[in-house]
Amino acid sequence: MSEMVTIVIDGKEIQAEKGANLLQAARANGFDIPGLCFYEKVTPTGDCRLCMVKIEGRPGMVPSCLVKVEAGMKVTAFDEQLESTRKMLADVLLSEHNDDCITCDRDGDCMIQDLAFRYGLDTPKRTFAPVWREVPQAPDSTAPVLAYDSSKCIKCERCVKACWEIQGKGVLSMAQRGIHSHVVAGTGQWTLSECDGCGECVQACPVGALMEKPNYGTRVKKKDVERKVVTTCPYCGVGCQLELWIRNDRIVKVKGADIVPNFGACCVKGRFGLDFVHRGDRLTQPLIRKEGQLVESSWDEALDLVAARFGAIKNEHGPAALAGLSSAKCTNEENYIFQKFVRTAFGSNNVDHCARLCHASTVAGLARSFGSGAMTNSIAELEHAEVILVTGSNTTETHPVIATRIKKAVLFHGAKLIVIDPRRIDLVPYAEKYGGMWLRQKNGSDVAWANGLMNVIIREGLLAEEFVKTRTEDYEALKKVVENFTPDKVETITGIPAARLQEAARLYAKAGCASIVYSMGITQHTTGTDNVMSMANLAMLTGNLGKESCGVNPLRGQNNVQGSCDMGALPNVFPGYQAVTDAALREKFEKAWNVTLDDKIGLTVTEIMHHAAEGKIKGLYIMGENPMVSDPDLGHVKKALEKLDFLVVQDIFLTETAQLADVVLPVASFAEKQGTFTNTERRSLWVEKAVPAPGEARIDWEVIRDVSTRMGYKMEYRTIKDLIDEVNQLVPQYAGITHERLMKGERLQWPCPNPQHPGTKFLHRDKFTRGLGKFFAIDYIPPAEWPDAKYPFLLSTGRLLYHYHTGSMSRRTEALPQYVPGPFMEMHAADMKRLGIASGEKVKVSTRRGAIEIEARQSYRVDEGSVFITFHFAEAAANVLTNDAIDPIAKIPEFKVAACQIEALGA
Amino acid sequence: MSVFRTHVLLPVDVGTAQAGVFEVKRRLEKELSARQLLDEVKVLESGTVGIVGKGVILAVYPDRMYYFNVREADVPRIVDEHLLKGRVVAGLDHAAIAVSPPAPGPKVGLTRAQRRIVLDRAWTVDPENIDEIIAAGGYRGLERILGEKLSPEAVIEEIKKSGLRGRGGAGFPTGMKWEFTRKAPGGEKYIVCNADEGEPGTFKDRLILEGDPHRLIEAMAIAGYAIGAARGFVYIRGEYQLSIDRLQKAIVQARKYGLLGDDILESGFSFALEIRKGAGAYVCGEETALIESLEGKRGNPRVKPPYPVTHGLWQKPTAVNNVETLANVPGIMANGAGWFRQIGTDKCPGTKVFTVLGHVEYPGLVETDMGTPLREIIFGFGGGVKGGRKFKAALLGGAAGVFVPERLLDVRMDFESLKENKAVLGSGAVLVMDETASVVEMLFSIAKFFAHESCGQCVPCRIGTRQILDIAWRIRQGHGRAGDTETMLQLAETMFKTSLCPLGQSLIMPVRSALENFTEEFALAIGQAGKA
Amino acid sequence: MKSDKILKRYERSGDHLLAILHDIQDASPEHYLSDADLRAAADYLRLPYSFVHGVASFYTMYSLTPRGRNLIRVCQSPPCHLLGSSTISRELIKLLGVGFGETTADRLFTLEMTSCLGVCGVAPAMMVNDRVYGNLTAERIAGIIDDLRRGQ
Ligand SMILES: Nc1nc2c(c(=O)[nH]1)N[C@H]1C(S)=C(S)[C@@H](COP(=O)(O)OP(=O)(O)OC[C@H]3O[C@@H](n4cnc5c(=O)[nH]c(N)nc54)[C@H](O)[C@@H]3O)O[C@H]1N2
Ligand SMILES: Nc1nc2c(c(=O)[nH]1)N[C@H]1C(S)=C(S)[C@@H](COP(=O)(O)OP(=O)(O)OC[C@H]3O[C@@H](n4cnc5c(=O)[nH]c(N)nc54)[C@H](O)[C@@H]3O)O[C@H]1N2
Ligand SMILES: Cc1cc2nc3c(=O)[nH]c(=O)nc-3n(C[C@H](O)[C@H](O)[C@H](O)COP(=O)(O)O)c2cc1C
Ligand code: SF4
Ligand code: SF4
Ligand code: SF4
Ligand code: SF4
Ligand code: SF4
Ligand code: FES
Ligand code: FES
Ligand SMILES: [Mo]
Repeated sequence: MSEMVTIVIDGKEIQAEKGANLLQAARANGFDIPGLCFYEKVTPTGDCRLCMVKIEGRPGMVPSCLVKVEAGMKVTAFDEQLESTRKMLADVLLSEHNDDCITCDRDGDCMIQDLAFRYGLDTPKRTFAPVWREVPQAPDSTAPVLAYDSSKCIKCERCVKACWEIQGKGVLSMAQRGIHSHVVAGTGQWTLSECDGCGECVQACPVGALMEKPNYGTRVKKKDVERKVVTTCPYCGVGCQLELWIRNDRIVKVKGADIVPNFGACCVKGRFGLDFVHRGDRLTQPLIRKEGQLVESSWDEALDLVAARFGAIKNEHGPAALAGLSSAKCTNEENYIFQKFVRTAFGSNNVDHCARLCHASTVAGLARSFGSGAMTNSIAELEHAEVILVTGSNTTETHPVIATRIKKAVLFHGAKLIVIDPRRIDLVPYAEKYGGMWLRQKNGSDVAWANGLMNVIIREGLLAEEFVKTRTEDYEALKKVVENFTPDKVETITGIPAARLQEAARLYAKAGCASIVYSMGITQHTTGTDNVMSMANLAMLTGNLGKESCGVNPLRGQNNVQGSCDMGALPNVFPGYQAVTDAALREKFEKAWNVTLDDKIGLTVTEIMHHAAEGKIKGLYIMGENPMVSDPDLGHVKKALEKLDFLVVQDIFLTETAQLADVVLPVASFAEKQGTFTNTERRSLWVEKAVPAPGEARIDWEVIRDVSTRMGYKMEYRTIKDLIDEVNQLVPQYAGITHERLMKGERLQWPCPNPQHPGTKFLHRDKFTRGLGKFFAIDYIPPAEWPDAKYPFLLSTGRLLYHYHTGSMSRRTEALPQYVPGPFMEMHAADMKRLGIASGEKVKVSTRRGAIEIEARQSYRVDEGSVFITFHFAEAAANVLTNDAIDPIAKIPEFKVAACQIEALGA
Repeated sequence: MSVFRTHVLLPVDVGTAQAGVFEVKRRLEKELSARQLLDEVKVLESGTVGIVGKGVILAVYPDRMYYFNVREADVPRIVDEHLLKGRVVAGLDHAAIAVSPPAPGPKVGLTRAQRRIVLDRAWTVDPENIDEIIAAGGYRGLERILGEKLSPEAVIEEIKKSGLRGRGGAGFPTGMKWEFTRKAPGGEKYIVCNADEGEPGTFKDRLILEGDPHRLIEAMAIAGYAIGAARGFVYIRGEYQLSIDRLQKAIVQARKYGLLGDDILESGFSFALEIRKGAGAYVCGEETALIESLEGKRGNPRVKPPYPVTHGLWQKPTAVNNVETLANVPGIMANGAGWFRQIGTDKCPGTKVFTVLGHVEYPGLVETDMGTPLREIIFGFGGGVKGGRKFKAALLGGAAGVFVPERLLDVRMDFESLKENKAVLGSGAVLVMDETASVVEMLFSIAKFFAHESCGQCVPCRIGTRQILDIAWRIRQGHGRAGDTETMLQLAETMFKTSLCPLGQSLIMPVRSALENFTEEFALAIGQAGKA
Repeated sequence: MKSDKILKRYERSGDHLLAILHDIQDASPEHYLSDADLRAAADYLRLPYSFVHGVASFYTMYSLTPRGRNLIRVCQSPPCHLLGSSTISRELIKLLGVGFGETTADRLFTLEMTSCLGVCGVAPAMMVNDRVYGNLTAERIAGIIDDLRRGQ
């Protein structure tokens, strides 16, 4: 903590932190000094000059926002001269301002309006005639999500700095000069700039110059807003806290809430992509398939039918014929109840969810190496890492707010970024320009380069010997394997030049604290678990565990995929990663749930589909997943789902999967219910009800409770608290994350073993969860499929910033499809030329599993010989093409490598 | 862009007329036109220079070279050799005008004796020929320092003793600036020469750069040595292409001669000098804006403190000095502080280069002692008010300057004396206005200049300059309103108190001096509107 | 592209931005910086586009719109103003038929105002491309414009 000193403002003694901002300190103590350009989150500019004060010993007036508090400072904040000067400045400022408050969105919530009011500057009382009309204006309303009105802009630069200092982007600048200055995006037009619509600038604007477009249907003024609800973003695993503005039971505006983990920031999806909640095609009524058609029914009829059909299958074929897919979009409580329902009412461990397609290899791999499979450190710590190694994570697009931390580490704290990715992702410039590096490897060669790094580290004596000796085991085995991975050999496997690999090894190993950040590029391989354990090996070898700003940090994808796993929506573990095969643990749950539990490990998502296709699984309950778009080899998935005797889909929309269901159950979205999501840094975040659910849509956990009860396993939860209490009882990591603490606004990170525990910022401080960290000696195995003469291109799949997974939510918004309306494939210019394909032309892409037609676009991102397709668009579904070969341990499919063929279709 | 780099004076009197001065003049204009030099060389008929019996006299200014008994047939040679190549034409009857110490000479006009330090060599040697420069004493200061192994501290001490003060406008003691920079913590340091010269009415730095670029190079090396900088930058405004070209050539030559670059004169001292070109922004003359511009950014002035001496270019300690300031350094180092102190006044030693402009007979440039009375500059060097009209006012120091009325004509032109009289020396521009000129009109022009050049960063200046322009415009158009002058003054005062940088702070100077010294003129302008 | 060659002459360091913009613009017959030019400079120096736009639009010597073959910049600062630059301006507007900041239809002339050019000794003055004209009078203007028209 900094030193407190005494200063005097207008004769009053005040305590303030030494070096604190004087304006802030004065305001905190009740001195309401005016000032428009100062914004706590960015460095001060001193542009508006309204916060002028006098300081004893300094000539004239000084802007207090540019002064640091020093002991003994004597400040005059208010006297006649200061106030008349301020008034004149306000008068001057207003002459440049188009004060058309009558129709301005910011009316009633505007700093310049307040200023005019404060100094009584009614129009007739102003000294200076308006000049804004005579100055050429440069409005820009081309961006999908926001509009800039230069006639209302006070040129305070808060937006410019917010885009750079908070988001690390630098899309904005002031252009021209003098009275002509204005804000500009890119080279002059917002749509053509690199603006990704995060809205940070809008949030920073103190007046009505930068405004959201009415993507939520209506323009709103602050005074029209009835309620503000703070809740958790339903998209990605960052878990941004959002403030929803509500009017007439509709979300009308979204702001980033100024608390952990995002501290006000958010991305385009969180801010402008929540209108799916109010879409007309939300499911509002249960649907039952009758004569091939899905028709509306009552809840009673639907629930009775569901219970009866599942009951019948269970009776006839046994519990093993039933399975359930839980949902990483749903709350912890809903996942808890769902897995309990499958394990009790269905009677098997056949429960899994999309983590299988995602971080199953992380959960498996890190559990083996460390004892627990989650981000070892916290998001905020990234900002202070010395080196950050990002591999297989397109962070700026998939975890945008985490990416801002990485960018800030690089831009403002001197961190070096190493990106290891086959695609030239947007983080690459932050690596290359600021002393880091980008290594482009061949897809699926991650074990090789990781072993190569370790080879160099060991050979050059850069390893953390003490850490290896005292905190780990099996080092010798590792050493033996990596000996073979000389930089030259690694170059032949990965394509990474030997010298660059050596450089990277030194950079990473020499850092005081280095953090590894990874995601699907590492996990979605037939060697996913190996890849993950290689990351663990690398961090352990260099002692980068158990302290701040280092670690192995898998970025969990879905808003609540961490929680779904924690809650045991997995076939091998009960909630809290307690193995179903462990008799003592099973007994604990049998006692708590009052049933006999299956002792065999259940089926995974990929296995469920195979068993269904083979007719071994006959009934399937899908809550909040859309495998008809998201699972690999969709042709096969379709066959499997059609083969089922009975399929129930519980969703908020009639998805591609729901369209195949026998019963569709309509549920409330995140905005219509309570509960918790656990974000990627193991932090439990409250989800608050903001609006009522549409029609007869009910809450997921209530539906599961009622189905279970009707199937004969009685559940009596009445409130969300009942569920949270039970989780506290049974899941050691969550024992201290009580309803009471959640209601107090605590946002705790597990493990949190008791109600007094402050939560855990980073894992493995003095000892690994499993005791010693374990090195695994891993050899390189190539991907299951590789380009050949018939299928010469390497196909990789993944994501875009503007869309989310199967598009069920993101494509049902106003703003997001304006950025990217439909499917396309990224392709290298040389390949396009060779095949005679023009950018924008349709091509046919085929693999051994199927074919799609899709627009080909020239892209600087992919390497020659590679193409990239997102899986967001069902009309050209990437998963028709993908390989469902799986990792033997984690059973995760190889979404990141397939061999394909490309045919030009002609114009 | 060597515009009117040279004036050719043809004194016309009975004697020269008989000797054929008009024929010479016609021929001269023809030859100049043929070589497309008409925009570079100005031919002027001047009054008698008091030299009789020498036939046609042709004086090349500012080279201070007189040719006597010039015949029409000599003209092509004079044009080719001297006016084009800057070499004195051998074989002709010629003489150089005496420089320091002042010698008796003509009483009025540009050819009047000047004491020259910074322009000492300009136009008497070929600026593009380093040998000539060295023969004329170039690099003697640097040689002395390195040869005698003077310590950097000793160099700074010498500059401090000389009393040299910044010629960029503020008059800050140069030795102190260097000392701060030298003592500022940090290994890497820079010396930056401010050659942005945007102050209206000022072109002295251009003439130094064009006339004697090596003097600046020598000065930069000395400054670099003194403050501990291995790199120096000369920031030249983009319009000064000839200056850039000349300096670039000179840098190449100096490097070749081991006067720049690694291990200068085998002393172990290394110094690299680079030119950076501006792109049209007056505010970039302000030192922190200049630094931003050097870094490749918008020319927005920085908040001070911290000052460049501790946080300058790339946040490293940096000394920023004006061209003329630096051009004094070699002389001081070669001849000693004592020599320098003998010239000028006690508090402002040395000379000052003035530009005399507007309604004067001989507009141009004058280097003379600090403290020379204004009257002497206007009536002595400038030849008095043009056409014999009455003097009304002089705008001293450029647009950010002060209007001085007739009663202040005897003020001495140095920082102290001017300050005592609520005026400024500024860049040394002296814009003379005769009785027909309108102060209202000039204030309007000044306001326009400021509104055009404000960087727009801070509220008082961005909008204030525009408001003052609007008021000045309507007064000028005869639509002034009661209270306009008071509002203008109040606003300029608020700008003075609250602007982020000196640009916005300095509009008060012309506004206040115009309104105070020419109150009636403004009252009249507004009053007429009232009647209309 | 031509700008490639220009870019390669400079180190990839932001402080060369002004020089690069000068060179690219000098190579443009229309005396301006196109959107592609700005992007090329930004990409080369690895600067945000907005930053380059901000810089290019700050300085008066750069233009972001095409200009005529002859770029006429008339000084309007006080010394030139005193000696009649407004007459010169009026004459130019009359002769060219365009106002300040505008380009003639034949794209031969663009008229701009400028602050002091540092040649006030010969006020009133103007610059046409790289060349300075001083001691201007209304009469001389007509001749100069004529010459420029013919010299095309
Ligand atoms: N906008 C948006 N955000 C999302 C999602 C979304 O759909 N849209 N989904 C969320 C979910 S569930 C998840 S799991 C995350 C996923 O987040 P990410 O993993 O960041 O996303 P991906 O696009 O799948 O792929 C990541 C990177 O892996 C690289 N890669 C491909 N092959 C290889 C390889 O062999 N080795 C290595 N090292 N890298 C490779 C790709 O080039 C790509 O840059 O995103 C979450 N966030
Ligand atoms: N080719 C390819 N395929 C991939 C991947 C890849 O990289 N490449 N990545 C894989 C990964 S990492 C993942 S995580 C999966 C994701 O695969 P999925 O989880 O199948 O994809 P989502 O579209 O997120 O599906 C979530 C569903 O939940 C619904 N939903 C939203 N909120 C609620 C709610 O509150 N309650 C209920 N009941 N439903 C709700 C949505 O409408 C949507 O239909 O995709 C995988 N598929
Ligand atoms: C708006 C403005 C313009 C200036 N223009 C110049 C200039 O063109 N040349 C110059 O040397 N100093 C100029 N200055 C002064 C510089 O900021 C700085 O004081 C000077 O370069 C210091 O050098 P010196 O100490 O040698 O005088 C200007 C100042 C301001 C506020
Ligand atoms: S920005 Fe503020 S003052 Fe301006 S019109 Fe809008 S509400 Fe009124
Ligand atoms: S929306 Fe975000 S990226 Fe776009 S300009 Fe604003 S802050 Fe920058
Ligand atoms: S748009 Fe808003 S935040 Fe940006 S400069 Fe203008 S007033 Fe300030
Ligand atoms: S970063 Fe993720 S959690 Fe945050 S707003 Fe965007 S999608 Fe939502
Ligand atoms: S005073 Fe004028 S030039 Fe200086 S920072 Fe403010 S706006 Fe820019
Ligand atoms: S708040 Fe301090 S200058 Fe604007
Ligand atoms: S005022 Fe016009 S050139 Fe200086
Ligand atoms: Mo995922």
